[in-house]
Amino acid sequence: MSARSFLELVQGSAVAEWMRYSGAAPVVESTHVVAAVMLFGTVLVVDLRLLGVADSGHAFTGISRQTLPLTWLAFAVAVITGWLMFTASAVAYFGNTAFRLKALALCGAGLNMALFHLVTARRVPAWDQGVPMPRAARIAGFVSALLWASVVLLGRWIGFTKGYDFTIPPGVELGFGP
Amino acid sequence: MRAFAEWLSGTGPSVAIQSTFWLIRLLQATHLLTAGVVTASGVLVALRVLGWHRTAQPFAAVWRRFAPWLAWGVALMVATGIAQTLGDPVREFTATSFWLKMVVLLAAVTGTLGIARAGQRVPPATDFPVAAKVMAAGLIICWLVLPLLGRMIAYDRAIWGSFSLRS
Repeated sequence: MSARSFLELVQGSAVAEWMRYSGAAPVVESTHVVAAVMLFGTVLVVDLRLLGVADSGHAFTGISRQTLPLTWLAFAVAVITGWLMFTASAVAYFGNTAFRLKALALCGAGLNMALFHLVTARRVPAWDQGVPMPRAARIAGFVSALLWASVVLLGRWIGFTKGYDFTIPPGVELGFGP
Repeated sequence: MRAFAEWLSGTGPSVAIQSTFWLIRLLQATHLLTAGVVTASGVLVALRVLGWHRTAQPFAAVWRRFAPWLAWGVALMVATGIAQTLGDPVREFTATSFWLKMVVLLAAVTGTLGIARAGQRVPPATDFPVAAKVMAAGLIICWLVLPLLGRMIAYDRAIWGSFSLRS
């Protein structure tokens, strides 16, 4: 199955139709913004600890353990609402540069987190209470803050460059619609 | 209100913002990222009152950690919010979501300040009274509803229908 066929399949699904015609889109998008805002804010709490800017008197593991469940919750809501928005206009989203850059920034943020957990965090007992933090931890915190801020801003940028196009693109046979 | 908004949109500062493409984008970007700092800070402080976050730390320490971020964040959001409103006063002043957002903002800020003041008097190892916890739960809702209403301004008629001031 080609990418185009997959996108058309997604865009032709019942969920996509619901997103386009039920009037739920504004509520879903607004919820996506709340999730994105919470995600960025809670990630920043952990990143600022890594950078040694805030919570310096507290163990990194304690801050991380108590904050990250909220981050994951916000991430889950953002993924669900983001997917719903994507289905409504999958072909147009996929062709949108801001959307592609956002996807790239998301992958970068995930890769940065994986690297941090696989390499830097393995030696966490040695620097858990420490200030200043090791260079690798500070770099991970800085890159994370930068990438997640980019994700949020690029998400906003999609709206400037695309808006909501709920019309079915020419040449796409969905078998339903107005 | 519409007449006032239309007059405001014709004033020099409003026209200057409207005609400066990058300024509008910069204001929105700053507003959005600052919303992240403010929302998370407000929610985490309230979660501490509920006893679900940073329970090993006294409330006063948690408040000291987040108060500056909340204060500077709210100040920056108000500044960028005023500039954005000045840039498109008709859109903002005729939106039900905008006025609700102002009311919720006031409730969130005064409620958080109130709970912070009360929290200073609670001994470090003591649980907060039920009334404070109920208030904290309300504050979490307020802090989360703020960005929701902010985004809803764009879709006021679609969301509020006949309750929209844009109707």
